[in-house]
Amino acid sequence: MLESFPVAFVFFAAAILLMALPRGPIRAGLLLIAPLITLVVIWYLPEGNLWSVNLMGLDLDFMRVDRLSRIFGLIFCVAAFLGNLYAWHVKDSVQQIAALLYAGSAIGAVFAGDLITLFLFWEGTAITSVFLIWARGTEGAYHTGMRYLIIQITSGVLLLAGAVLFWRETGSLAFDKMTLGSFGTWLIFLAFGIKSAFPLLNNWLQDSYPAATITGSVVLSAFTTKLAIYALARGFPGTEALIYIGAVMTLFPLFFAVIENDLRRVLTYSLNTQLGFMVVGIGIGTELSLNGTAAYALAGILYKELLFMSIGAVLFRTGTSKASELGGLYKTMPQTMLFCVIGAASVSAFPLFSGFISKSLILSAASHDGYYVVWGILLFASIGVFLHTGIKVPYFAFFAKDSGLRPKEAPFHMVMAMGVTSFLCIFIGVFPGMLYGLLPFDVDYVPYTTTHVITQIQLLFFAALAFVVLMKSGIYPQVVKSVILDTDWSYRRALPAVLSYCAWVVATLWNGLLTFGLNRFQEITAGLYKSYGPEGRIARVWPTGSMVLWIAALLAAALLVNFF
Amino acid sequence: MSEQEKQSTSQKSVSSNPDATLAQGDQVANKGGEDTSTYPALGRWMMFVDNPKNVNKIVYGLCILCAGLFLADFLYHKHTYVAIEDIPGFYALYGFFMCAALVVCAKVMRIFLKRGEDYYAPYDVESEEYPEDGLDRESHNA
Repeated sequence: MLESFPVAFVFFAAAILLMALPRGPIRAGLLLIAPLITLVVIWYLPEGNLWSVNLMGLDLDFMRVDRLSRIFGLIFCVAAFLGNLYAWHVKDSVQQIAALLYAGSAIGAVFAGDLITLFLFWEGTAITSVFLIWARGTEGAYHTGMRYLIIQITSGVLLLAGAVLFWRETGSLAFDKMTLGSFGTWLIFLAFGIKSAFPLLNNWLQDSYPAATITGSVVLSAFTTKLAIYALARGFPGTEALIYIGAVMTLFPLFFAVIENDLRRVLTYSLNTQLGFMVVGIGIGTELSLNGTAAYALAGILYKELLFMSIGAVLFRTGTSKASELGGLYKTMPQTMLFCVIGAASVSAFPLFSGFISKSLILSAASHDGYYVVWGILLFASIGVFLHTGIKVPYFAFFAKDSGLRPKEAPFHMVMAMGVTSFLCIFIGVFPGMLYGLLPFDVDYVPYTTTHVITQIQLLFFAALAFVVLMKSGIYPQVVKSVILDTDWSYRRALPAVLSYCAWVVATLWNGLLTFGLNRFQEITAGLYKSYGPEGRIARVWPTGSMVLWIAALLAAALLVNFF
Repeated sequence: MSEQEKQSTSQKSVSSNPDATLAQGDQVANKGGEDTSTYPALGRWMMFVDNPKNVNKIVYGLCILCAGLFLADFLYHKHTYVAIEDIPGFYALYGFFMCAALVVCAKVMRIFLKRGEDYYAPYDVESEEYPEDGLDRESHNA
């Protein structure tokens, strides 16, 4: 029976089988088949709690299928398929297995019906995904991976602690809608917040994804953060704090993305902004906004993968993804350029692309429910995303100044992966009904209205005009090799600096005291030695003659005293 | 790409060279010394954007388009939810000025936040080269 096993196990079984297969097309084929099988299985799953196991008196639900978990499960399968197709050339077993286990864990977490199962898969995504960073094999990647792992595991530990507290309070481990209030729910909220890159908790994202391998970053961009979005949508829909958290989340990364040099890192900033949109949608908590979040997560996974693929292809052929080193690549990589532009148009929500029909649900929900300031911020964020991802990424990679690089077009399988993803981006944009049919609630929304299309085009074209004006007038910042400090500076530089200063102060004090004490001790012992040591005055051996002499002298003195 | 495939492609390009020498000569003359004969057709076709005159044409086109879009606001009934949307050209102005403001703010921020590429080295990949075994560099001008 198909419905009698957790679908994530398809990926785990494939990972085990993979090790038995020879490297090459058979393996790569298996990497493609596993997600496809899972996709079909999920498509035909009935709703309900389909598979649970009793462990030490706890009922663990591995397969809670409803419309919300189904759409995330489906898109994760598609993302895994596309990511593995893009990685067809990879021979590294570690990366292949990590990619399978990672996708499997994410899918497992999506179907988890209780907090303990969620925790298991939640940690699974952390532990497996770090290998996609370490696979780069450099010292920097090792350290980045460690930072990533520490933060991801922290999120998992918080989730477990929160789950235990929640169980103590309510006697239930069910992963359903929770209300913020008790300490346990706050811990769970924070655990979700770390993985969905809340403001100030976000920097693991910008730090780690650009450090991953070319294919690794494509896979990474799809799962961890969207899983966290799913968890928030499941656990905390309608939590008002999320609206404001999300609004700040859309805002901050914009500024960094404009000045960041590494285009893959620009994409992580833009990913962060999109997560902000989704978080706002969860916070508003209406059917329209939750639909918007799910739709945007689906569309976002696709076009973000597409963008990572296209910049990854550039990196694959040139060895760099830095804006300052690139430019003029359209001449020899026109297909990759075209796919990048399609991804950029999708992320910028151009009409007929997937971003338009999904993001507008969230924007509409914000304006319909009277969150006007948030709406304004989201509109600003849309402009910002268009500027730094829609224009900057394709422009500086493929146009701008001529870098002199003439790399060949991306290999066939990469072009295929990008082509399929591009097709999906456009298909969803042109026929939104398909996507809307999968959303958690019934959709009563028409994205293509005259007002909506015209206003959106106005917004984007005038932003483009501003870009042109800024470029022509030289105000637009030049791309230069640099590191832009972000909040990770606090724990990568400030905290170690403060700690090492504290350590220095303590060490200096300790050494001072120790030296002082030792010196006193030595002085005292030296003094004692001087008096009582073998050469000391007290211990000196005096000749008897001298005593007789002294007695004689004393007697003489006594005599003299008596005499007078 | 495997080693064999690489060899076969390089052989192909060598073998196709004699046929392409004439066309190549034209290309060299046209593009200031750059041999574009091996470039993909789409890439060659798009090379008109290298000409500053054509770039200016695109910019003028964008300006005209924007002017048209601005005027379009007066031609249809806007279906709005927020009062500010009713201002004619609101989206256009918001798009233009917020975009400019974003860039200017970011530029100011960069003064304070920019550091050298090796700032975090060796604990960061920023100053490292991407390992060659993960790449497949193939170039037209190599």
